[in-house]
Amino acid sequence: MNSWALFGITKKLTEKFDYPPMKHVKKIGDRFKKSIHLYPIDVGNDGALNFEMTAMAAPQYNIHRFGIFFTDSPRHADILLILGRPTEAMIKPLKETINQLPEPFGIVALENNQETGIDIENLNLPNLLAHIKEEIDAKSIISLLLGIMEK
Amino acid sequence: MRLLGIIEKPNGKQLLVQDKERFFIKEDTEKNFSNYSFLKNRDKNIGNPMKKGEGVFNFRYGPVNSGVGEAGIFNICTYGERIISANIDPSYKKRGIEEMIKGSNVKKALRLSEDICSNFAFSHSTAFLRAIENAGKLHTDTTTKRIRIMALELERIYNHLFVMARLSKGASQNVLTSHLEGLFEEALRTNRRFSGSRFLKNLNGLSIDVSRLINMDETASRIKNIKDKFTELYRHSLKSWNFIDRIYNTATLSKDKALDIGITGPSLRATGADEDLRKYEKLYKNFTPRTEKNGDALSRMQVRAAEIIDSCEIIEEQIEKIKQEKQQDNKIDLSSISGDGIGACESPSGLVVYFIELSERIIKNVYISTPSLFGFKAFCDSLEGHIFTDFSFALDSFGINFADCSR
Repeated sequence: MNSWALFGITKKLTEKFDYPPMKHVKKIGDRFKKSIHLYPIDVGNDGALNFEMTAMAAPQYNIHRFGIFFTDSPRHADILLILGRPTEAMIKPLKETINQLPEPFGIVALENNQETGIDIENLNLPNLLAHIKEEIDAKSIISLLLGIMEK
Repeated sequence: MRLLGIIEKPNGKQLLVQDKERFFIKEDTEKNFSNYSFLKNRDKNIGNPMKKGEGVFNFRYGPVNSGVGEAGIFNICTYGERIISANIDPSYKKRGIEEMIKGSNVKKALRLSEDICSNFAFSHSTAFLRAIENAGKLHTDTTTKRIRIMALELERIYNHLFVMARLSKGASQNVLTSHLEGLFEEALRTNRRFSGSRFLKNLNGLSIDVSRLINMDETASRIKNIKDKFTELYRHSLKSWNFIDRIYNTATLSKDKALDIGITGPSLRATGADEDLRKYEKLYKNFTPRTEKNGDALSRMQVRAAEIIDSCEIIEEQIEKIKQEKQQDNKIDLSSISGDGIGACESPSGLVVYFIELSERIIKNVYISTPSLFGFKAFCDSLEGHIFTDFSFALDSFGINFADCSR
C-alpha cells in the first residue's frame, strides 16, 4: 500500500473534456469570459440536480480549469443556478435570493423533466440566460456554462 | 413491532406496522408507540421543541444556505455554541406527490414514485411495485427480481459513496474527498451504462426484459474496479486520525433510542441491531447484515463502507445467475386489478414502505413511509449537546434528505 500522500498525487483522474459549449443560450458578457462563480439554489427538485452538483465537483471534470467555481453566498455569485421547479413556499426565498445577487448577474433554470411545482416562465425572472426543461447531467451543465461564458 | 405510519382513511386512522419481515395494518387503538406523536406531525415539524433559558435563541438555518443544500429549514436552539435542541421544517420542499399519486393509474404512479427522491428512485419504485404485486396477487419472474436486486445494490453503492464523500469533505480531507467524488461519478456512469439513467429511473416495472440490459459485462467490470479502488481508499481513510477524531463519538444514537424512533437501515445497524429486510429474501444468498456497536457517525460510516463492498459482490453474483438462467414468460394482466397491498424495500438509508389501495387500476389511497423521516428525528435527538462544527457530520452520517422526507 502506497503512503497516503503518494496515493493522492499518483492518480490522474481528470479527463480530456470533449464537449462543445452549448449553443442557443444567451451570453453573460465579456466580463465573465475567464471565470464565473455559481450559487445553486434548490427550489424543490427531486434531489437529482443536487447530486449532479456534487458530481460536477468530481475530479473527472475538474471544473476549475474552465474558470467555473461554486460560492457559498448569492452575494458573491455571477450565475444563480435554479435547481428544479419551485414549490409555492420557495418562491419568496427565491426572489429574495435574486435580490441579493450583485449586478450584473445571470440566471440559469434547470427543470430536469420535473412534473411538480410552478413553471419558471410564469415567474418573469430577470436575466434568464437559459431555461432547460429536459433531463440534464453534470457534463451537460458544464457545456451549458461554457456556452454562457462564450468559451 | 415498529410503527411506520398513520394512514388517514374516511372512517378513521389506521396504523402501518412492521414486525420483522411482516408488514400489516392495525386499527388506531394502540397509541403506545413512542413515535406516534412525531409521525402524526410528519409534514409540519420533526424533532424536539424549542427550549427557553438565559441567552437562548432560535438559530434558523435554511432554506437558502450553502450548508443545507436543499430547500428545508433547521431550527437550532442554542445560546451561541452548544446546540440544546433542534427541529426541522420540511414544508418548503413539499411537492404533494403523495396527493398526485391518488387518482393516478399504475403507470403514472410508478413514475411519480421515482420523482419523490432521485437518489432512492429505484427503492421507491420497487416498494411501490411490490405493493401493487401484493394487492393484485401478481407473480414476478426470478430474472426481474434479480435485476431489481442489482439496481438496488447499485443505488446503495453510489449513495454510500456520496455519504462518505460528504463526511470526508466536512473534515477537510481533500485528497480522500476528491477520490470518493471520483468514485461517486464512476458509480453514476455505471448506472447509466446499466440502465440508461444515472439515477436508475425508467427501468423498473412489473416485468423487466433482460434483453434491455445490454451492458451487463461492462457493469460487472466497472463494479469490480469500484470495489478494488474503494477497498484501498477505505484502508487509507481509517489511518487518518484527523478524520476519525471528527466522527468518533459524534451524534451517538443508542440502540434503545433508535428502536424507539423507528429508524432502520445503516443507522440502526450501527447501534448493534442486525435488522435488514434483505436477510429474509431468498435470492440474496447467505446474506448477513453488517453491524457495529457504538451508534456514532464513525460506526454508521463503517457499516456503509462494509456494505459497499458487500453490494459489489452481490451484483457480481447476480450477473452470473442472470446469465445462467432463461427469463420466464410472464404476462401480467392489470385490467381488473383491485385491492390493498403493502410493499417494502431496503433502501440505502432504511426502509421504504408503500401502502396502496387500488380500485380497477386506479390508486385510491397511498401512504409512503420514507427512511429520511425517521432519520431526521434521530438526527435532531443525537445532535443535542453537540457544537455547531458537528452539525455536518451528524446530518451527513444519517444519509437523509428533504426530498425523501417531504414527498
